Amino acid sequence: MLAYVLRRLGFGIVVLVGTSIITFIIAFVVPADPAVTIAGAKADPQTLALIRTQLGLNQPIYVQYARYLARVVQGDLGRSYILRQSVTRLIAERFPATAILALCAMALSLVLGVVMGVVAAAYKERAIDNILLVVSLALISLPVFWLGTMLLIGAGFYLRSFPLGGFSGARSLILPTITLALGSGGYYSRILHTSLGEVMGQDYIRTALGKGLSRRQAMLKHAMANALLPLVTLAGLDLAGLLSGVVLTETVFNWPGIGRLAFEAIFNLDIPLIMGTVLFSAFLIVVANLLVDLLYVWLDPRIRLGEQP
Amino acid sequence: MRNADFLLLCALLLAVAAACKSGPPVQFPPGTRVLWLAAADDVPTLDPAVGYDSASWAYEQAIFDTLVRYGDANVELQPDLALSWEISKDATRLTFHLRRDARFSNGRPVTGADVKYAIERVLKPSTRSQGAEYYRGIAGAADFVAGRARQVAGIELPDPYTIVFHLTGPDPIFIHKLTMPFAAAVPREVTEKWGEDFSHHAVGSGAFKLSQWISGQRLVLVRNPYYFAGGLPKLDAVVELTGVNEELQWLKYEAGEIDVSSVPSPEFPAVMKSPRLKALTIHNVTVTTNYLGMNCQMAPFTDVRVRRAFNYAIDKEKLLALLNGRGVVARGVLPPGLPGYTPDVTGYPYDPGRAQRLLEEAGVRKGFAPVLWMRADQTMLLLAQSVQQDLALVGVNLVLKPVAWGPLLDAVRQPHNTQMFMLAWEADFPDPENFLEVLFSKRQWRSNNDTFFYDPQVDRLMAEAAPIADLARRFELYREAERIIIGQAPWVFLYHPVNYLIRQPWVHDYVINPMRPTRLEKVWISPH
Amino acid sequence: MKRIGAMELIGLLMVLSLMVIAATAPLIAPHDPTRAVAPTYGEPAPPTRAFPLGTDELGRDVLSRIIYGARISLTVGVAGMLVTMTIGVAIGLAAGFFRGAVDVVLMRFTDVMLTLPALLLAMALVAVLSPGLVSILIVIGLVSWTTVARVVRAEAMSVSQRDFMLAARSLGASPVRLIARHLLPNVLPLIVVMAALSTSGTLLLDAALSFLGLGVPPPAPSWGRMIEEAELYFRVAPWLAAFPGLAIFYAVLGFNLFGYGYLRRQGR
Repeated sequence: MLAYVLRRLGFGIVVLVGTSIITFIIAFVVPADPAVTIAGAKADPQTLALIRTQLGLNQPIYVQYARYLARVVQGDLGRSYILRQSVTRLIAERFPATAILALCAMALSLVLGVVMGVVAAAYKERAIDNILLVVSLALISLPVFWLGTMLLIGAGFYLRSFPLGGFSGARSLILPTITLALGSGGYYSRILHTSLGEVMGQDYIRTALGKGLSRRQAMLKHAMANALLPLVTLAGLDLAGLLSGVVLTETVFNWPGIGRLAFEAIFNLDIPLIMGTVLFSAFLIVVANLLVDLLYVWLDPRIRLGEQP
Repeated sequence: MRNADFLLLCALLLAVAAACKSGPPVQFPPGTRVLWLAAADDVPTLDPAVGYDSASWAYEQAIFDTLVRYGDANVELQPDLALSWEISKDATRLTFHLRRDARFSNGRPVTGADVKYAIERVLKPSTRSQGAEYYRGIAGAADFVAGRARQVAGIELPDPYTIVFHLTGPDPIFIHKLTMPFAAAVPREVTEKWGEDFSHHAVGSGAFKLSQWISGQRLVLVRNPYYFAGGLPKLDAVVELTGVNEELQWLKYEAGEIDVSSVPSPEFPAVMKSPRLKALTIHNVTVTTNYLGMNCQMAPFTDVRVRRAFNYAIDKEKLLALLNGRGVVARGVLPPGLPGYTPDVTGYPYDPGRAQRLLEEAGVRKGFAPVLWMRADQTMLLLAQSVQQDLALVGVNLVLKPVAWGPLLDAVRQPHNTQMFMLAWEADFPDPENFLEVLFSKRQWRSNNDTFFYDPQVDRLMAEAAPIADLARRFELYREAERIIIGQAPWVFLYHPVNYLIRQPWVHDYVINPMRPTRLEKVWISPH
Repeated sequence: MKRIGAMELIGLLMVLSLMVIAATAPLIAPHDPTRAVAPTYGEPAPPTRAFPLGTDELGRDVLSRIIYGARISLTVGVAGMLVTMTIGVAIGLAAGFFRGAVDVVLMRFTDVMLTLPALLLAMALVAVLSPGLVSILIVIGLVSWTTVARVVRAEAMSVSQRDFMLAARSLGASPVRLIARHLLPNVLPLIVVMAALSTSGTLLLDAALSFLGLGVPPPAPSWGRMIEEAELYFRVAPWLAAFPGLAIFYAVLGFNLFGYGYLRRQGR
């Protein structure tokens, strides 16, 4: 078991180093001199030369990468070219807004997904099942930024019943949460529908049904626990993705989170900030992967006993 | 996981979310006079050595003082930390006499040494200041930058309240460089304590001091109790909410949540139709020129007929229509409002027929597809598409290349790289030198002369004008240079933007300066 | 089992209708999508008889732009799908067929790619490469093949275990022949479904990139960019954002109905 965890940990580190190398290469091929980005429109060549020396941009790429890695390990992600602040600090300041939105969206999409998935499975092959299938497909097919825009226009501008963006208390959470949750709710309902269908076909459920349990009872009392597993796994990984910033939704709603920060960084080609947000997001995903793996260790005795998964 | 656990978890998450708000809300005791503002993006920095954009300068101006400053609505020099000053006849020595009652917001008195330190900090390469170039003309600056001297020999402090600048050569506009926040007095002990984080712990002698700054949410300034000017500031606090784009600003303005707002394009016509709202607008022509640059070293733009044809082919009135008329058609390089501007330049009227003839004469074939480099910004893309439509009518298929700001600036500086580009130039000093010399002299190739324009006579005229302190003679020479530049048409002269803001009826004395952000210390709020 | 389900049929018809619109755009579009044709300039105008979906601030006809937009969206969607499927199917088949070390190496690589923050990397890459059709296709190919590879691998593994495969293998057929003649035809139905789903995914990703200003540059009328350009006019001209969004929705839904409909008929 320890060996398994260590192996997964090693894998996580490989992913992080890989991400850092990829982002560093992206940064290196940027078709622009970072000194110009820093110094702005009016700088003279002398200022640019000074900045280049200061940043160590005259060094070979591997020296620059080694320096960067050494700083990252100490938690220093460098300074934003445009916002002129420590990237670590910027991410820390923006994280709470993203975290709250991510948790709310995840909660709502799970509720949506479970309700729709269970109802569809309970009425398998009947009209409701088909309607719910089409509804969930429609939800999956909605472009999230357009949905957000339409909600903003409808509920915000016309009804005047919701704040028009920005982060100002619980009310302001509602529209972005709905925007995020509809699509993934539809997706989760498909997953749950499928896994419930599989579990319901297994022997122990057949036995339970044989003992006179109604299909609905069997599903809720016995099948749910097992059928939820793939969903929980998926949700765990999705949550990491959400926590690392939801670029589109945050952009539509002017949400002061990591996603908007990342978008601004990319828009301005603010290299340290791009590298910082991408690394941070990879870090969250790696941690979530580890947690999900540990969850499996806990749930699946074969792994606990040291067998190969 | 059992479903009961699961539902419990959901409920818990929702409860957490509902309980959480955006950190402690900003609250002021009743009766506090607060000015509420909003902006889409965070203020980049409050460190005066670092900031070089209007958002940073708006608040740096509030927190810091310079020796001299401009008037609230004009670009005339006024005392700030210096009560009086003398400039030697040859414009190589400037002496300032400082007021004795100025204090930083930590209570320490401001002396000439704080100004000297600030300028040395800007010059120091490790600061990476964009303002460094403005102070390299001080005697001894070169030695200091190269590390050969521990201080700048040309900044003298005969006594704590007198500061003298010795320049390496005559520079009639040097005093204007001292109005820039780069040269604002900063307390050495605080900057050295915080280093690069001084921005978040800014301490200056200005009317306000920094109180709270949460990235992506808000910046709060409160009055500096030590500010020297009696009775100022008239406000107790200024709050800027960030992450509020133009459209949201407008809705917040309508709801009375913010005091001053920009007017989004779609709302502008309605505002101007309403007498009540129109009376609340504030506007000013900026000393900015928006233009399309054409690389004079790249064919076919080496041919002046092609450059003129593009000037005739583009309908600038259409661009203004897209901006709701918030601009003035540019007929030359210099914007109105800049000293040295002359209204009798003619520029190029919209004349597609003439453009077509010129293109034919120059042998430009139909379907010529030049690439226009531009910033990937919504408004700029809108304007560029209008230009694209116009050029299509004379047989030119303009290709747009929207890129980020940094790559754009880098690309246009490379020789033989960008055929066309869309940029704007905003004056830093009220002097034609700041436009003409910087943008059109051969000395600025690979720096700011991105059209790689060269005309020996223009260069000669400008070299002659630069050291002349007599304004009439100086402007006459620059005017002659501008006349030649317009004839050679290295730019398509587009427009000078007009800034429009709208205030609440209870906001008073909020004025727009043509070259600098609005100063906040005299703004006041009546009961409402 | 029916040969085709109702959902698949509807999805297929939706997709075909789009293809017809894209192919005949110059014939059916009432106006040139890039020219100023409206009487107004500088502000959008609401739908009228002459311009049924209104005009935008540059005086262009929204309906014509949406019709021409189908060309761009389908081009990106289908080309992106081809890139995605080529990489994904090749890696999935190889891993599922050869197993052993090949499988381990390829799947580890897939795991790493799955773990990377895809949208952020895609955005950063497009921004660096500067927006355009080619850079968008490169990015889509790089980030979206992983799911395809995993699904195809699982299917290839199970097909490889079937009797006819084992028989062919024992008769000494070469791996190339085995894959081409026996494995691929049996995995093909799944590949078609994955292609449909990957097209819908590509359409959404492309729309998102365009919305963020990282799509095909103007004057090409891309649906995502139309929504971005409409942002300024949300309040006075909501139709500018509404119609292109509906177009994206229609296209994505068509491909999804087709793909999921098939999966459902297979009981997956």
